Amino acid sequence: MSVFDFFRRTELSDRQEAAVMKTFSTLRAHRRSRFRILACIDGSEAGDMAVRFAARFAVSNNCDIIILHVRPIDQGLHSGGLQVRLARQNMIDAGFELPGVKYLKHALDVLKEEGIDVSGWQSATAHENAWGDAAGDTKVEYQSADGRTVVLKLKTAPDVAGGILDQYELGPYNLIILGEPSRWRSEFMSFFDAGIVQTVATVAPCSVLVARNSLEKRGFFICTDGSSRSLQAVRRAAVLATVIGEHVTLFSVAPDEIAKPAAEEAVANAKALLKAMKVDVAEAKAVVGNVLEEIVERGSLYKVIVVTDEGRSRIQRLFKGSLATESVRRARTSVLDVR
Amino acid sequence: MTALTDQHQFNLARDSLLAHEPTVGLTRARRRGYQRYRQFMSNVDLALLWKRRWFIVTMIVGFALMSAPTPSGLTHDGQVVLVMTLMATMLFITEAVPLPAVALLIVVGQVLLLGIDSTTVARSLMTDAVLFIMGSLMLAVAVVKQKLDKRIALAIVRVTGTSVFWICFGITAVCGALASFIGEHTVAAMMLPVGVTLISLTSNDPKKIHNLAAVILFSISFGCSIAGVTTPSGGARNAIIISYWKDFFYDPSDPVTYRYLMDYLTWTLYALPMFLLRLPVVTLLLIFTFKPEISNLSRAVSKLRTQVKLEGPMKPSGWLTIIVFAFVIVGWSVFSTGVGLGTVAIAGAVTYLVLGLVRWEDINSGVNWGIVLLYAAAISLGVQMKETGAAEWFAASLMRGLIDAGMTSTIAFDAASSILTILVSNTMTAGAAVAVLSPIILKMAAVSGHDPLIAGFVTAISSAFGYLTPAAQPAFTIIYASGYLKAKDFFKIGSRMTALSFAVLMLVSIFYWPMLAVD
Repeated sequence: MSVFDFFRRTELSDRQEAAVMKTFSTLRAHRRSRFRILACIDGSEAGDMAVRFAARFAVSNNCDIIILHVRPIDQGLHSGGLQVRLARQNMIDAGFELPGVKYLKHALDVLKEEGIDVSGWQSATAHENAWGDAAGDTKVEYQSADGRTVVLKLKTAPDVAGGILDQYELGPYNLIILGEPSRWRSEFMSFFDAGIVQTVATVAPCSVLVARNSLEKRGFFICTDGSSRSLQAVRRAAVLATVIGEHVTLFSVAPDEIAKPAAEEAVANAKALLKAMKVDVAEAKAVVGNVLEEIVERGSLYKVIVVTDEGRSRIQRLFKGSLATESVRRARTSVLDVR
Repeated sequence: MTALTDQHQFNLARDSLLAHEPTVGLTRARRRGYQRYRQFMSNVDLALLWKRRWFIVTMIVGFALMSAPTPSGLTHDGQVVLVMTLMATMLFITEAVPLPAVALLIVVGQVLLLGIDSTTVARSLMTDAVLFIMGSLMLAVAVVKQKLDKRIALAIVRVTGTSVFWICFGITAVCGALASFIGEHTVAAMMLPVGVTLISLTSNDPKKIHNLAAVILFSISFGCSIAGVTTPSGGARNAIIISYWKDFFYDPSDPVTYRYLMDYLTWTLYALPMFLLRLPVVTLLLIFTFKPEISNLSRAVSKLRTQVKLEGPMKPSGWLTIIVFAFVIVGWSVFSTGVGLGTVAIAGAVTYLVLGLVRWEDINSGVNWGIVLLYAAAISLGVQMKETGAAEWFAASLMRGLIDAGMTSTIAFDAASSILTILVSNTMTAGAAVAVLSPIILKMAAVSGHDPLIAGFVTAISSAFGYLTPAAQPAFTIIYASGYLKAKDFFKIGSRMTALSFAVLMLVSIFYWPMLAVD
């Protein structure tokens, strides 16, 4: 072996590379075969609502619910030189739970009220260090005999929105559910400093449901503008509605009379698509008016308003805005932003 | 029924909402595997530019101001130091980079921009004040590790009984008494489990006793906070101001300036009334602001007694810790003028290590060394402000402003210094606020004929009035970690507490300090 061998770039052999890829693709394939819902909670009633929606959407055996509480990492620099983790360690030594543990336990009670009782299920706990925090990340996984999984995860992250998005990276999810925040920022302000729900709703790679107190209402109010992206969203949202036993209403708004035929055509196309899939449409409407106001007003009678995300970047949103985000913000019922 | 029959046709995972792969944006890029993509992405972080935007802005502003024409009466070095101070303040407030990185930038800036020899800069970093901050943090870890909290709590309730008001008063008084000598963050970290014990033994549901939790936890933090100024060892800010007095005004050849060599007992004489006057009011203010749900903690107290009984008598290590600490306090009071506060603190920390009362590993992980570095660099910059004449020039300019505004009396000057310090200390850590502001305020006092000693006390004490946010005070950050409090609770009580503290400070500065200064 010459000295140069130390500097030679080496690679995994094709066989080893294939093994890595196989392990990886097996894991991904398994996850792809599940409908995974990430419900994010913060101990508030809005967080409970997120868990209730997760329970009601996870009706079939291939559904998993992951309940996540992200705890901001203990900051040391403001504590005058003493690491806050010393205080945290002191609390843990004294036998106290971390703040989020209580919220996660409460979420289990909420699930039980919704008919998902994990008390008889197999459970496994995993813990890993994160960000040098005294508590780190903790995960408790419950698995039923028929393969359904409920995971409680207490995660530590420098900021909460970043923690939720990091969690997405760990295993893709079909849907992220968050409770309604106490306030929203304008599109301009959110470019500089958005709240947690707004950040996640804006940049999450998957569909996001912002849950409001609309569990007593019925039906999915699916909005479409006739674009292919929108039709895809209609199709996928209608499947979800059908599986959980909700009726479907299709809706399109034309900003003026000239655009009305296009709106009617959009609704007709969507209806035809769903008919081909054998999904019943309870009602199909095309109206003329202010698009946002019509969606918010008429949709408020339904359990969920479904809007299609335009897929705009944050800078594009700054100039063009986003009807989907505006609907999520202004609606009085839960809104599903489909990606 | 249609829905039910169709349900079997659909697979939610396949037909409904999609779980997009995080890699979806990179399908065009040729790659052999996801791992390689992760490795690539871990080296590319465009968001970092956005995260560091305030750093970039600070640098642009800083270099523009440095290359601007030098104002008359100020040297170019003075201009550079002033701009560096402004840049450090911007970075402290925006936290665009980790705070210790600001300290390192100050060191690099002094060598590269001011052309000072690196050994000289390195020497200016380690002062007695920095040794003191380092030593007291090490002592803090040793004391917290002994778990004396429950015993202290039981001792409190033995005297106060089980009424919420009196227990909170007891907690405030005892935390205050401890925080007068040990750093306020130490006491907060030590007493937090006691507070949480009393709360959790009262009820398991935090929502039902939110106000009680607020009153108990704020009793701890305010006890620590109002007493942090009582003695020089109460907090880093005190040591910093003592170090500035000496650097700025002490002249060994002039006996009149000997008063600027502040000793432990004289400081206490000046600052003690700030604690004693606020102590009885704090609990009343807390009770009136939050109105706790219950008025008697007898259930929690009896459970606490049981827990302490089960732990058995105090261990020798506990007693030894207390004895060593008592010696440290005596050392500060008696020897600090001779050997310095820092040496005593370091000696105490070494004693704990030698006696095996704390492990070095615990100290290493419990102390935030970045803060030590931060204070060292900030003090060093303060000294440069004096050396280059920047502090004097800036102080004279500000004074002209105050004179134009008609604020020439001592009261107006004290009030203006206090308000300025309160504003700054609500945006950054108190020690850093004192380190940045003191050189200017002390020079202003000297230029305008006010007593720098009183100006120093006003600055040090006002820097403890940052009550509005959880990050404003070390003790606040620690009780916030319990998870029982919300940020708005801090604002609710903090605004009242700031007004109260400001009024008390003004009274003390008008009526009490002039009497001492004459002596």
